[in-house]
Amino acid sequence: MAALPKRIIKETERLNKEAPDGITAEPHEDNLRYFDVTIKGPGGSPFEGGTFKLELFLPEDYPMAPPKVRFLTKIYHPNIDRLGRICLDILKDKWSPALQIRTVLLSIQALLSSPNPDDPLATDVAKHYKENEKEAIAQSQEWTRKYAVAG
Amino acid sequence: MKKEPSPSSSKAASSSSLSSASAVKQQNGKKRKTSPTSKPEKREFYLGTFLVGNAWSTSKGSGYVKPGDTICVERESPDEARPSKSDTKGKGKGKQATLFSMLKPQVKGGAAKKAKANTIVRLTNERGFEFGRLPQDISSWVSKLLDHDIITFKGSTMVECEVPLRTGSDLVVSLSVYIRPSAFKRYEASSSESSTPKFWSNEGAETEHEERLRERKTALRQLFERLDIKPSSGSNADFDEASYTSSKKENVARPTKATPLVNDVDADENEEEILSENELDVIYKRAQANDAAMDEMEPSSEFALTLRPYQKQALHWMYSRETGAASARASHSLHPLWAEYMFPPNPSNGLIDLTVDEIPFYYNTHSGELSLDFPRAENLCKGGILAYVYLLPCLYEILGMGKTIMVSSLIQTNRNYTEEELAGPSADQRQNKKKQLKLDAAFRPIKSKQTSRRSRATLIVAPASLLDQWCSELQRSSKKGSLNAFVWHGQNRDDLETMVDTNDVSDVVITSYGTLAAEHARLEKSSKNVPIFDIEWFRVVLDEAHNCKSRTSKTAKAVFDLKAGRRWALTGTPIVNRLEDLYSLLKFLDFTPWSEHSFFRSIVTLPFLNHEPKAIEVVQVILESVLLRREKSMRDKDGKKIVDLPSKEVVVEELQFTSLERSIYDSLYRVAKTKFDSLTASGMVGKRYTHILAMLMRLRRAVLHPSLVLEKNENEQRSTENIDVNELIKQFDANTENGQNESYAQTVIEGLQEDEECPICFYVMEEPMIIPECFHKSCKDCILTYLLKLSEKGEDGHCPTCRQGPVAEDQLLEVVRDRQRLRQTSVGIEPERQPNEEGQSNGVGFTIRKNDFKSSTKLNALVQNLRRLQDQDPCFRAVVFSQFTSFLDLIEIALQRENLEWYRLDGSTEIKKRHQAIAEFNKPSRKPKIFMLSLKAGGVGLNLTAANHVFMMDCWWNSAIEQQAIDRVHRIGQEKTVFVKHFIIAETIEGRILQIQKRKAAIVKEAFKGQGSTDSESLENLKIMFEE
Repeated sequence: MAALPKRIIKETERLNKEAPDGITAEPHEDNLRYFDVTIKGPGGSPFEGGTFKLELFLPEDYPMAPPKVRFLTKIYHPNIDRLGRICLDILKDKWSPALQIRTVLLSIQALLSSPNPDDPLATDVAKHYKENEKEAIAQSQEWTRKYAVAG
Repeated sequence: MKKEPSPSSSKAASSSSLSSASAVKQQNGKKRKTSPTSKPEKREFYLGTFLVGNAWSTSKGSGYVKPGDTICVERESPDEARPSKSDTKGKGKGKQATLFSMLKPQVKGGAAKKAKANTIVRLTNERGFEFGRLPQDISSWVSKLLDHDIITFKGSTMVECEVPLRTGSDLVVSLSVYIRPSAFKRYEASSSESSTPKFWSNEGAETEHEERLRERKTALRQLFERLDIKPSSGSNADFDEASYTSSKKENVARPTKATPLVNDVDADENEEEILSENELDVIYKRAQANDAAMDEMEPSSEFALTLRPYQKQALHWMYSRETGAASARASHSLHPLWAEYMFPPNPSNGLIDLTVDEIPFYYNTHSGELSLDFPRAENLCKGGILAYVYLLPCLYEILGMGKTIMVSSLIQTNRNYTEEELAGPSADQRQNKKKQLKLDAAFRPIKSKQTSRRSRATLIVAPASLLDQWCSELQRSSKKGSLNAFVWHGQNRDDLETMVDTNDVSDVVITSYGTLAAEHARLEKSSKNVPIFDIEWFRVVLDEAHNCKSRTSKTAKAVFDLKAGRRWALTGTPIVNRLEDLYSLLKFLDFTPWSEHSFFRSIVTLPFLNHEPKAIEVVQVILESVLLRREKSMRDKDGKKIVDLPSKEVVVEELQFTSLERSIYDSLYRVAKTKFDSLTASGMVGKRYTHILAMLMRLRRAVLHPSLVLEKNENEQRSTENIDVNELIKQFDANTENGQNESYAQTVIEGLQEDEECPICFYVMEEPMIIPECFHKSCKDCILTYLLKLSEKGEDGHCPTCRQGPVAEDQLLEVVRDRQRLRQTSVGIEPERQPNEEGQSNGVGFTIRKNDFKSSTKLNALVQNLRRLQDQDPCFRAVVFSQFTSFLDLIEIALQRENLEWYRLDGSTEIKKRHQAIAEFNKPSRKPKIFMLSLKAGGVGLNLTAANHVFMMDCWWNSAIEQQAIDRVHRIGQEKTVFVKHFIIAETIEGRILQIQKRKAAIVKEAFKGQGSTDSESLENLKIMFEE
């Protein structure tokens, strides 16, 4: 593998130094492009109280190509499927090299606060949210307690 | 008429023969009658004995002769009176008639002709009765030798014959040859035709006299061959005399053939071979053999600098050359035209007296002259050639030997005419006479004042680019006020006459070859006095004297017409390609006899073409006396290098094309290769040679920058002007109605003065680019890569930060910073953020321009190297070479964009500007400076030792040229290590050029001169170019 670009080193460094609220990102020792990420469920959201684990991988042509991010913790969210894949435009065609790991993770955190059932990835969850939002939120809270709370 | 440094005054000959004559002389009294004219005290030298087995009898009967009898050899016909029995020796009637036929018209033509054909040599007994003759093959040359009074036969015997004789029967005779004293006389003295040039003249056909000389020479050669006499020692010992007579040598021996060629030499110059490295090596070896042991000389006290030991040696040599003092460099060389022979011991009485010293004699293989005196190689001209550079690659370490300093010290040290000179006719009047003879006074109105004014000034002729350097160097090396030099050049040159004449204060006049040629044209057109040719200079110095190597050029002709008592030629390449190159220098130096072209040609050029080692040897001897060669690698008598230059590090940086450049190059290459292949197949390569060269040229440009080969259809309007920053802010404000943005644009611009991070790569932006729509920034590489990626996906460009678009590449604004401060390369992850030092004058510290300049791989490499350099050394000096001025144009823009101070010199630069540029560049300053040079204009003469970095942007066919260029920097005065970087693009024609450079650098240069030459070497080189 080619030497790690300075940008990645810097980003890692800054994530460590001044981590955004509720977010951690730690690179693997044997692969500095691979990060273990945790995001705390934002307050007021159905995911409050939970700590979600994600994995983040920076591909070879990062930052020209977007990072690959996936939830490891099961989550009941219309834009996140059962495999943890996230439906977020900046991770796809709206990626810009001016974005960073930090901004990506903050976006994901924001996505937790405001699920968008109109652009679903997990169609059944989206449907649930659309038809009976209350029940769906309860379901999300349930899953959060079940999977995202330690102990 | 040429004076041949020559052998024998007859006086010397006779005195030497007196000294040791007796031993040999005793025993030949008996045959005296064959040579009664010789005075007894003149010695005849035994030369050898040979057997003739096929002489034949003309008589019948017994009693005439029997084996063992002494016989005589006679020349004249028995029908004619034998006025004195004496005359084998020579006034053979036939020859006499020939010789004087012009003077004595009463001799019937028919008789003369018949006599000419007569080569009969008779054998007589002691009573003078003819009994036989020598066979034709022997008599043909024996008769000549007898006629010319060169030899005589004494003590010859009949070895075997039938007794009694029958007419026509074979006789075996032993003939002993003695060389007569008259043979050593200067031949022409005996001739009434002495006004005829002695050597094969350029006046047309051979004269009778010359024909006789030639006969004599041929006959002598045959005699030597017959007697098996070989040159014994001296420079000719290793030269095979036998081969000299072989057909190969005939060109030397047949000057008649050579003469007509002389007038149209240029026509066949192409056929002349180029000297190989080895040959040149050999040539120069002799010229510097004694140099280490040469005496040193202190310069005059007016001279302000200190000379190094080797320079003192050179000064001594030069001074001696001028003052005519005994040769500073001991010259023990035999004159190149002469060969030394030893007289064999005389076997008479069956004893060989070993106590008698061997006596040498000398034979001029060119003229046929004989001499008893040692013919020393010498010359009469005052001056010489100062060669300061080696000519061929591999050994190029030589420039910058301080020739300017040498000349300066010489000017200071030898400033006055000798008393002798002042008394006698000026050197020049003598020269004038000669010139008038030659130049045909009829065509040139005789000048009113024939006595030219003598000046004590030295005239220096140099390439225009070096005039000012000469001037300043001369001033620098002289104590204040001790030397007045001025440059006489350009449109408004003052009246030279008054300047030199009126008060005689000028010590040195410096002019250019161009001026000289122009003045010469004036001289030829009008009858007016042209001062520069009218004044007799104290000394003339030609710098870069190879400028006049072509003797028919206007420059050369002008140079030849200068008058001076002392002449110097400074050149890095006395012999550029051909031995003929040397001729012009010798001609300028008036170095007789070599300054006669026909002579030079028949002795040097033609033999060389025939691959005769003799030619090289002749040149060696010429050079030995007239050339002082200095090269950096030479060592003094203590074995120290005479010049200790700082080391030089050469790096070849191999670069990779971008894909775009690669595809452009490849398509050009394919076209060229296809063309070449089809030409090869049809055998047309030779004819379309220049065409191929043109294609190669395109390829070489493509390597540098694609725009050098692309059609210039798009408007190539590149903005070289900077954009006004305030204007830009205003524009931005006008475009955005949002009031907030007003301060925003301002902030952005101000932020440029700090080290900002690129949002994409997180590096500090080295070359920030501003997106004009939104004023977002990014570094150049990142934004360009991003835009490229978008366009690959078929999307419009937009700002990576805010997605505003569309953004086009050439709309981007480039920020060029003043690279003023020492940049600390940030090693840590967190870069230290330092506020930029205050930019100077404009207080901004950067300029902004449109990104409408397309760079290239090589250009980027250069820029990056320069940046790195600036980080290491904020006030570095670098020299950038390219052979394409169009590429220099692009480099210029790149440097401009970098805000680097640059200077440029190419063929089109005016002299004044050149001088300015060099002076500015050399001026100390805290800012970095870059000097761009075209390889051709800047290859010679310039002194750029202020720089110690050299960038070669492209490679030249001949690495020697590159080397000369590098030596502008790596020369005396350079105190730092010199770093040289060659940029080469991988997998292109450049690699192959390097390959050829290595292969045979000397030849390549010639092969690619592109005069439609089709020798195998150049074809071979072309094949390398298109090899797979």
